[in-house]
Amino acid sequence: MTLERNILLGLGVLAALLPFAITDQYVLHLAIMAIFYAILANSLNLVVGYVGEFSLGHTAFLGTGAYTAALLSVNAGWPMWAAVPAAGVVAALFGLAIGAITLRLQGPYFVIVTLSFAEVLRIVANNWIAVTNGPMGLAGVGQGGVSDKSAFLAIVLGLAALTFYLSYRFVYSNAGRAAVAVRENRYVAQSIGVNPFGTAMQAFVLGAFLAGLAGGFYAFYISFVGPEVFRFAFMATIIIMVLMGGKGTLLGPVVGAVIVTLLEEYLRELQELRLSLFGLIVMAIVLFLPNGLMGFVARRREQRGDAPSLSPAIEERTV
Amino acid sequence: MDLFLQFLTNGLVVGVFYALSALGLTLIFGLMRVVNFAHGEFYMLGGVVGWFVTTYLGLDFFSGLVLVALAIGSFGWLVDRFLIERVRGQGEEPGILLTIGLSIFLVNITLLAIGPAPLKVARAITEGPIFLGPVTITKMRLLAMVIGIALIVGAHAIIHRTRLGSAMRATFQDPMAASLAGIRTKQVYAATFALGCTLSALSGMLLASIYSAQASVGGLVSLKSFVVVILGGMGSFPGAIAGGLLLGVAEALWGGYVATGMVDIIGFLLVILILVLRPQGLFSIRAERA
Amino acid sequence: MYRYVLGCALAAGVAASGIAASGSANAQDSVKIGLVEPLTGSVAYNGKSVVEGAKLAVEQINAKGGVLGKPVELVIEDGQCAPANSVNAVEKLVQKDKVAVLVGAFCSSATAAIMPVAAKYKIPLVTGVSSSAALTEQNNPWFFRAAETDALMAKAFAKILANDLKLKSVAYVGVNDDWGRGGVEEFSRDLSALGVKTALTEYFDHGSTDFFTLLTKLRAAKPDGIFVAAETQDGSILVKQLQEMGVQSKVFGVGSWATADFINLTGDAAEGIYAAVPYVSSVDTPRNNEFVKAYEAKYKVKPGKYGAAGYNALNITAQAIAQAGSTDAEAIRTALGKTDYKAPNGEYRFTAKGQAYGFDAVLVRIEGGTPKVVASSPVEAPQ
Repeated sequence: MTLERNILLGLGVLAALLPFAITDQYVLHLAIMAIFYAILANSLNLVVGYVGEFSLGHTAFLGTGAYTAALLSVNAGWPMWAAVPAAGVVAALFGLAIGAITLRLQGPYFVIVTLSFAEVLRIVANNWIAVTNGPMGLAGVGQGGVSDKSAFLAIVLGLAALTFYLSYRFVYSNAGRAAVAVRENRYVAQSIGVNPFGTAMQAFVLGAFLAGLAGGFYAFYISFVGPEVFRFAFMATIIIMVLMGGKGTLLGPVVGAVIVTLLEEYLRELQELRLSLFGLIVMAIVLFLPNGLMGFVARRREQRGDAPSLSPAIEERTV
Repeated sequence: MDLFLQFLTNGLVVGVFYALSALGLTLIFGLMRVVNFAHGEFYMLGGVVGWFVTTYLGLDFFSGLVLVALAIGSFGWLVDRFLIERVRGQGEEPGILLTIGLSIFLVNITLLAIGPAPLKVARAITEGPIFLGPVTITKMRLLAMVIGIALIVGAHAIIHRTRLGSAMRATFQDPMAASLAGIRTKQVYAATFALGCTLSALSGMLLASIYSAQASVGGLVSLKSFVVVILGGMGSFPGAIAGGLLLGVAEALWGGYVATGMVDIIGFLLVILILVLRPQGLFSIRAERA
Repeated sequence: MYRYVLGCALAAGVAASGIAASGSANAQDSVKIGLVEPLTGSVAYNGKSVVEGAKLAVEQINAKGGVLGKPVELVIEDGQCAPANSVNAVEKLVQKDKVAVLVGAFCSSATAAIMPVAAKYKIPLVTGVSSSAALTEQNNPWFFRAAETDALMAKAFAKILANDLKLKSVAYVGVNDDWGRGGVEEFSRDLSALGVKTALTEYFDHGSTDFFTLLTKLRAAKPDGIFVAAETQDGSILVKQLQEMGVQSKVFGVGSWATADFINLTGDAAEGIYAAVPYVSSVDTPRNNEFVKAYEAKYKVKPGKYGAAGYNALNITAQAIAQAGSTDAEAIRTALGKTDYKAPNGEYRFTAKGQAYGFDAVLVRIEGGTPKVVASSPVEAPQ
């Protein structure tokens, strides 16, 4: 627990130095995207890793956040500092509503019902021309505001710091421990007085809030929001990050986000082969690193008889 | 009234097609509990391989269909033995990630091999409309429906009338007991997966001859098939058929009387409604398995 | 513990410096043009055609000695028709490859997302495809559209269609995206102004395969004509099913229909349909014949509207660089504004807002499996 915190702090300090260290705008852009994805992956990880239910509808919150921020900016001229928190709040409200319906279900049912919500929102965004401008999307978000990359990096870092602070507080709070208890054994947890629905709901809404913040940031940074923010392709990327890094750890999603972002860019060199190879890498990770990279690190440490693993939970999940 | 009959017919035809493309998934997702996001890619491969064997090997439609079944069936067998088997019994997540990876790989390797153009698959019979009173249907659609129903009946017979079928049912009820009883469960799993892939490939080729085959069609098929399986109830054959018909008719009526632009929303709304009201699906016999 | 912190730091540092280093290694011995098109995903088919056209153009330019005495190098990136991915691609092209000009982003949404990036880095951006009218209304001085908009197409052909096909009522069917909706809106506005009644307006999602429900409604509405805005995949299935449903109305529309692929996929159902396109290979002019011959020799297929779009966009860009006399962005932008490019399909010029005009749009009718030109009209500058 302290190790994880220290690494996160270390990474945070390192990342805070990035704006000074990097002048290359392309690398800066990649850093911004990687941190943006780290926030997203972390928010999904709260549901997947700590509640133990596999949500495929996380883009619902990313998308509502992005649309909220874009609409507030384009129609009402809200600046970024006001629109992004509002995006988080709206997404959290969606999380509350969707969670109230979906968290009653488990296993494959939960997977498909969350996916259905994201798809419903996508189709609404695509057809509700009066509000969302449909497939034409909302262009020119945040025009005249922040445009400097270093400033964007500072903002996304601030959001990431908030994300990890909140996640850390949640994970190591009673609610977080209760969530892990539910994940490991629902019935035992219930028998000691944990309310599975309540704890899952907390994680779900927090995840939605953070994804909404990320979505709001996305709207301002890319300056364009269309229905594709709800698309499954986005979802697949986030899942790959979480599972590649190692779910159920705070560090894992960060590692996954950085690796996948860099991998996608490095693979550009291979042109047409790029995505085929990416698919193969994803399969290889599942087969050879079943608990993600953090699980691999944790196992290596145990073999060497080092301090206890990063998160005891990952080891138990192998059964 | 005439319009209603035509909408209903359209819905039923499309419903049979949906049922057909979801049949394979009801085995893989419903029975084996693999949330298979590569399902649509097996469907796509069916169409593409079908195009290849009819165009380049000069086979007629029906021999092509047999060859497609054999090719994709063995491919499915290998996928299960080499990939799915290694994550069996570990919950949904590894399976989801594995099949997402597989689907990305299959789509893009197909794109690389044959390019992104839509392909024309030879038709089994000549096309032409048939007018039944106020209702229009085409010969090819009728034939596809007949073949589809035959496949559904055939798959049902395999599961309920053969030794493999009873081994499958035993394995999915209790894998431990089944292997104690001498059933080679690994083979059974692989056979089930292969059968599921074969069914989706067959529907892929059949429908490609009516529409067209293309590397990128899989995603939509996967999503729709999940909807159908959930609607009908996990692992239930009659359920998959009923789910397909329900989805087809609901979409046709929504498209007919509301708007065609949002027609895809129907399936997902139905899924949400059904999971909230009746989580075991419309036709599932048993509820959640432990 | 600290070892891990250090390890993470090292890894991140190596990764970052790796990218930075590979970016600065390239010497300026060629003129680089960046091309962002969807090469994977559902519009990859059309994106690939643009790339083919662009490659042909570059080949021809380099055979004649390139521009500024250097060969032109085309750097192609996959934008997947998605805003975020296209922005990634553009950042890479601008920062790492140091391209002089950007061409692309097929879908209007992706183009809208990369326009501010191009403006920020002050790199001219030429699109050969994106047709959403809103793009040139953003007053982005770095943006040029070497393509028709739906409004221009509608203005050019609405009258001819209404008179020739004797239209009294028309049903509008479009793919549910920015391009399809734009086409339907523009054509229905211009045709309505000519007194043609709107029988029905329906949209369908890209990738739809079964149109029987839509066609049932359409048949019941009994229009004289059916306007369709759809690309090859959706369009061919739709036109085929129109015939299967026994719908007799005349079909016309926009999309890449005047191609061998479309006609092959659609079969005899394609017979007699009209398509308004910015380019068709069967126009008999020396410049076009030469282009078609070169294209066919290289790709074994006649160019369609997207192949021509890629070809033209690249030629316009290269010509502007040559005119500018350097790869200075400001000079290229000025040169682009003064473009006078003789394309296979007429001459391209740009308005002050960066909208191309002067090239010929054609109305074709598919007869005996080949597109026959019915009418041809130069696209006028919008007011």
